[in-house]
Amino acid sequence: MAGSSRDERAWVRRAQAGSVSDFEALFRAHWGRAYRAAYLVVRDAGAAEDIAQEAFLSAVRSLDRFDRRRPFGPWLHRIVVNRAIDWARARALRPEAEAVDAPAPDPPERDEELLRELEQLSPEHRAVIVLRYLLEYTPGEIAELLELPRGTVNSRLRRGLDALEERLQ
Amino acid sequence: MKDFRAPREAEARERAWEVVRSAYESREPVTWPRRHARPLIAGAVVAAAVAAVLSPPGRSVVHSLRKAVGVENAQTELFSLPAHRRLLVSGTGGAWVVNADGSRRRLGAYRDAAWSPHGLYVAATKADELVAVDPKGNVRWTLPRRAPRFPAWTGTRTDTRIAYLAGGKLHVVAGDGTGDRTIGPAAPVPPVWLPGRVVAYSNGHALVGYAVDSNSALRRVRIGPSGVTIRRHAGQSEVVSGGRVLFRGTGVFKQVVRSPDGRWLLVTWPTADQWVFIQIHPRKIVGVSRISSQFGGFPHVGGWCCSR
Repeated sequence: MAGSSRDERAWVRRAQAGSVSDFEALFRAHWGRAYRAAYLVVRDAGAAEDIAQEAFLSAVRSLDRFDRRRPFGPWLHRIVVNRAIDWARARALRPEAEAVDAPAPDPPERDEELLRELEQLSPEHRAVIVLRYLLEYTPGEIAELLELPRGTVNSRLRRGLDALEERLQ
Repeated sequence: MKDFRAPREAEARERAWEVVRSAYESREPVTWPRRHARPLIAGAVVAAAVAAVLSPPGRSVVHSLRKAVGVENAQTELFSLPAHRRLLVSGTGGAWVVNADGSRRRLGAYRDAAWSPHGLYVAATKADELVAVDPKGNVRWTLPRRAPRFPAWTGTRTDTRIAYLAGGKLHVVAGDGTGDRTIGPAAPVPPVWLPGRVVAYSNGHALVGYAVDSNSALRRVRIGPSGVTIRRHAGQSEVVSGGRVLFRGTGVFKQVVRSPDGRWLLVTWPTADQWVFIQIHPRKIVGVSRISSQFGGFPHVGGWCCSR
């Protein structure tokens, strides 16, 4: 669970000054949502781990330049979701790419059908649905995060949900 | 969906935290004056550049300065590799695997790193250990040795050997970490595997060899000319192939590494803090800047893996 925005600003400020414990607080507050978002877009636990880890490594590299008046989560999620979309597109282009090392354990049963159907959507549609319903961003925020027109976000959400509804009926 | 939990979440979190913490601890925190100095300096440089460009002679000076060091219009991040497969790099920022899509995984705080022949593992060195890890950073075995350096791995899928230096001597160990042998005194120069499972190394006087299969020392070995070399003179470096200069720049080129498909060369250029990818035919150049900040120091390329 992410901390309050005041906690978060304090973590960022102290992490910029070199406090490992504050950086760890920031990491632990945001890891779960970043990893889940990546997983829902790519449906591969190893790739999701790499994508979320790489987003945090980007955070380390940019920490000193980070404007702490801005929230950390959207900045991180933007990296995660864009990388996840790129990864999913690349996999779609080369399905012969090496297999992942071990199959992921089955997710909880009640999610299984939804996840299976979510996987049938394009990475772009998956991403907006994950941002809207897992990370709970508004369509306006998603438009800003993905640098898309708001109308495009709304239409991707609508089409994605329609497709899911149709398949789940 | 907001209650969704992804598989292996906690294990993934702890693995990632080790990598991220290590990257965080190896960074240099920037103090307030330094953090704000960059925009101030950038502003001053822009003002000076604008003033210089106003006059025709100034235009050519600015143009020359921009061309002086580094490829123009270089990418600021390594967004992807121009050829498929993976790069292994190591240095003060640790060892990293760079995937074709630009994603990177830090394997750990290793000084040197080399691919196994098929890219399934990496041999790496720490202060007092030779280590074999998989490309996700999981340690497979370790061998305690004093200040090991320059691992080089060769072999087939069923029988591989790693040559490395430790305690001023060349060692050869099997790919599973067993049967470590001391071969003989060696100068601190990376050993090289030659065809026929012969490892060439410098004993400080000459280039000598050791043949694994016959367990015999070779008094003198010769390494054939490499297809592509780096030539340095008058403060410039050149990448040369067959007498033809493929690429030239100011300062020092450290390495030139060929892609597994042979179509691209990677030139590492610490003077410009850049990597330059050169496609030979049709000619194309892709520069990537800020290499040191992306890897916590300008890294050595341990290999571009692997041909199939």
